[in-house]
Amino acid sequence: MASTVIGAGITIEGEVTSDEDVVVQGTLRGKLVAKDAVTVEHGGVVEADITSGPVSVAGSVTGNISSNDRVDLQNGAKVVGNVKATRITIADGAQFKGNVDMDV
Amino acid sequence: MARTPGRTNASGEAASTVGRTTRIRGRVTGEGDLLIEGNVEGDITVRGDLTVAEGGRASGAIEASAVTLRGELDGDVRATGAVRIEAGARVRGDMHGESVSLEEGAEFVGRLDAPFDLPAELGGTQERGRRR
Repeated sequence: MASTVIGAGITIEGEVTSDEDVVVQGTLRGKLVAKDAVTVEHGGVVEADITSGPVSVAGSVTGNISSNDRVDLQNGAKVVGNVKATRITIADGAQFKGNVDMDV
Repeated sequence: MARTPGRTNASGEAASTVGRTTRIRGRVTGEGDLLIEGNVEGDITVRGDLTVAEGGRASGAIEASAVTLRGELDGDVRATGAVRIEAGARVRGDMHGESVSLEEGAEFVGRLDAPFDLPAELGGTQERGRRR
């Protein structure tokens, strides 16, 4: 179960840091640092750099994503920014503009 | 005043939760209930109920529907509904709400501001009074 949920309709302008999972259904502008998984759900908007564990995006992310695990851009995702991760998947239907760095 | 009921999931949890190890520095605005188990530094304006859980901490001005405090708060509260300061809460700030209740075991420094109707026999008119 996710420990932190930014619900649909909620906007956070600032910095979010967490040791646990973060689920974004609403809007986050600023910075997001999580030790565990970050999920941007369909309808969720992140205008921030993300530093975290595994990242799953079905919503919109504008900013750089840096993960120590995998990044999954799902159908419907819209990502503008660079992605740094050990593994990455970009599903059919995901929009992505940016560079991928898999640290090889 | 009509308000949008806060969205809750099947188990009745708040639509938005700031978990125990989560820290937010900035503004939180929007619609829906908010549960703070972690730390929020900044102003919070939500159309929905706000709860600061035991162990939770908020510093900043709060505007919400009903406000329930069981953790720490440093800041003023303007609620359109009831403000409940429950046992174990540590609160510093002015509380303004439809009603304000302070439970035994809560620490509180600040003003309580809730409108109420004076009984007819006091003053003779139905003026709305204020208690502080």
